[in-house]
Amino acid sequence: MSKHFMLMGVIGITFLITGCSEMGVKAWERDVLAQQEMSLINEPVESSLNDHVYFSKEASSGGQGFGGGGCGCN
Amino acid sequence: MKFIQKLPIEARLNPSKHPVPTVWSEGGYSYRVQFECMASDYSILIECDRVDLVIEAAKKAIIEAWRIEHKFSRYQVDNTFSMIHSWPDVKQTLDQETAQLMLFSYHAHQVSGGLFDITSGILRQAWRFDGSDNLPSPEQIQTSLVHVGWEKLGWSPQSPDQLCLPKGMELDFGGIGKEYAVDKMLKLSLSIFGDVPVAVLINGGGDIACSGPRLDGQGWRVGIESLKADHTSDQIISLSSGALATSGDRHRFLLKSGVRYSHVLNPLTGWPVEKAPRSVTVAAPNCVNAGILATLSLLQGNNADAFLKSLAVPYWIYSERG
Amino acid sequence: MVVKGLEVAVVAVTKTMKKNHELAKVLAAASCALIGSLSTAHAEESWDVDSAFLLYSESDGRVSAAEPVISATKNYDSETRLNVKLVADTLTGASANGATPSDEAQTFTSPSGNGTYTAAVGDQPLDDTFRDTRVALSSNWNAPINRDWAYGVGGYVSKEHDYQSLGVSSSVSRYLNQKNTTLTLGLGAANDTINPEGGVPTGLFQVPESASSSEFAQRDDSESKSIMDAVFGLTQVVNRNTIMQFNYSINTSSGYLTDPYKILSVIDDDSTGNNYGGNYTVNNRNLYLYEKRPDSRLKQSLYWQTKHQFDNNDILDVSYRYMFDDWGITSHTIDAKYRFRFDHQYLEPQLRWYSQSKADFYHRYLDSSAYTEVDFASADYRLGDLDTYTIGLRYGYQFADETEFYTRFSLYHQESSGDDGYGKLTSQELYPGLDAAMLMIGYKF
Repeated sequence: MSKHFMLMGVIGITFLITGCSEMGVKAWERDVLAQQEMSLINEPVESSLNDHVYFSKEASSGGQGFGGGGCGCN
Repeated sequence: MKFIQKLPIEARLNPSKHPVPTVWSEGGYSYRVQFECMASDYSILIECDRVDLVIEAAKKAIIEAWRIEHKFSRYQVDNTFSMIHSWPDVKQTLDQETAQLMLFSYHAHQVSGGLFDITSGILRQAWRFDGSDNLPSPEQIQTSLVHVGWEKLGWSPQSPDQLCLPKGMELDFGGIGKEYAVDKMLKLSLSIFGDVPVAVLINGGGDIACSGPRLDGQGWRVGIESLKADHTSDQIISLSSGALATSGDRHRFLLKSGVRYSHVLNPLTGWPVEKAPRSVTVAAPNCVNAGILATLSLLQGNNADAFLKSLAVPYWIYSERG
Repeated sequence: MVVKGLEVAVVAVTKTMKKNHELAKVLAAASCALIGSLSTAHAEESWDVDSAFLLYSESDGRVSAAEPVISATKNYDSETRLNVKLVADTLTGASANGATPSDEAQTFTSPSGNGTYTAAVGDQPLDDTFRDTRVALSSNWNAPINRDWAYGVGGYVSKEHDYQSLGVSSSVSRYLNQKNTTLTLGLGAANDTINPEGGVPTGLFQVPESASSSEFAQRDDSESKSIMDAVFGLTQVVNRNTIMQFNYSINTSSGYLTDPYKILSVIDDDSTGNNYGGNYTVNNRNLYLYEKRPDSRLKQSLYWQTKHQFDNNDILDVSYRYMFDDWGITSHTIDAKYRFRFDHQYLEPQLRWYSQSKADFYHRYLDSSAYTEVDFASADYRLGDLDTYTIGLRYGYQFADETEFYTRFSLYHQESSGDDGYGKLTSQELYPGLDAAMLMIGYKF
């Protein structure tokens, strides 16, 4: 388990250094992030098709959203 | 007034390639957002202590104004206006928004006895109001009138989204587009604030709608131009609800043999309305309503004043005699 | 001409004057109808549809699949939307049954018990009765609660001839720091029912010769499992061009988690005999056991994703996932995409690497001297040591009317590894790789 905590630690430090409240943009600076292409899952159909393939071929699933499933393929 | 920021908007939402809008502070929680639309200067005045919401609301309103401008513009190739006109003489299905505008235009045509007619835009091919003395010939006017007349449209209020547009005819939503955009901008921008206290005024090149009084309970101070060069007849009024719209000929007229031909055309005759006032401003609950009353009163020519009186609405009228 | 025109106009004006009150009323009502109708006439309120078709094909004539999907989203405003998605897929071909290849031809009982299939000397045992059609319908609703909170609810149902799944999910999000930070808590629950062909086999029991065996007689028709998901997410706007997400998720499954069609070979480990490393036989029949997995699994994962847009408008999308579970599996996944954007087109190369370590109860085969002592065992390569690689390229063209055509081609490669056995088994290929090609074609309108 120590490995897991180490990883969380690394990502946690990134946030500590920059500090959430100092990050971010003003409302009128959202022109880039407002683009559909910049949403975190910008191609949901492709993502779901890929997730389905990986779900049926590998032991891991989910992470980005819910864990996939609804399929007898694994 | 202090400049705060530019308000960049995605290129795809700015099809007419307007300059980037600007955000200004007028002190306290009062903000002004300025931009260009339909060849006019637009401004959005918002009083609210949540600047993030102010920006979000302004952005939404600007995108909406530009969308309407582009959708109904006569100078674009890939918009709703050109789509409608590229299918003459066949039955086509209009989108819901266009159908609603048709429905409104229908009512305005009916109650005005045909004086308000969105098919009359084509008359401008004959009449060019450039301040010159070039009057069109009666033949030119007759030729244009063939393609004017609401009743020639294949359209009925029972199914407002079905249209058959005879070849050569043109639908011109320009006469109500500006006021429509102002009303929509107000409605959309207000939807951002939820229960946050806010006061909004939209000024679309002189057509104005507000959400109510300012946050301090006072009305908005709005200037009504007399169109006279020395501005001696300008008035400042206090607007604390509803909308104002102005119809007038400003610099668009023809002058021949001492007769001034205003740009207000009678669609029934194809000729300008004689002795129309220079400008009329009407107050009404919303901007579309104010705009149509102002336009109809101009079409009354000499009777504009009496017409406006009989409507029992606040109005300001400036005729040639000043 | 002029005079006549004016007469008409005057008549019209006179008529209008008489009705001025009615006129004002009609116009006020018509304008209110126009403005009031705005909420329904708004252009954003149309359905956005994304339809796609995926062809998936494994090399050597193993599984191939065709998967059409149609997803429709109705945007009520920038934060309120409804999505409905329908997916169908049909699978045909053969998949590994878990048994090892052998220096002798092998005959296997089909899952229904009503037939057999064979694997030639040295061939991977493949169950070629594998064939399925799945239809899944899902729907999601997302909306704001107020300025600072939003929620989402969803559900799905999926059906195959031997599998049904029903799930619900919900999430709540809190915006902080002028919407630059979003905290999300998601919860999901699903219940799956499996009714395998031939019934539910007994785990770690010898695969019988046919359906007339007593083992078949005592089988249940169906089993079920339930799944609970929780996701805690943090999304942070880093700067004008960069957004980052960090998720922790936990997933528990309980119930029947075994694959009813997968078996294991028992290998003769008597190093003094001449069948050392060959199939262990009982009563002159090769001994194969049905696999058996624990009846619960707890998975946890950490997920990090960053998207960045460069000054030339290209977009980089990188993600990393670390997953571990109480079956002893750990995995790492790195996924990277780079979208080159042109005026109306884009080109997006993609790379993905995935590596997992095996489950504690994964055994490529069982030893004849010890097979009775195991509690759980599976030879499913998907639970073994596994590395996979995906390389893909997506291309899209956006038309003037804002519709988009896109296509994606990708190659998927799997490499398994593990111990090589002993005796005769060492000459067999125990960990064959797998290659698949995927082609997706889609249209958004």
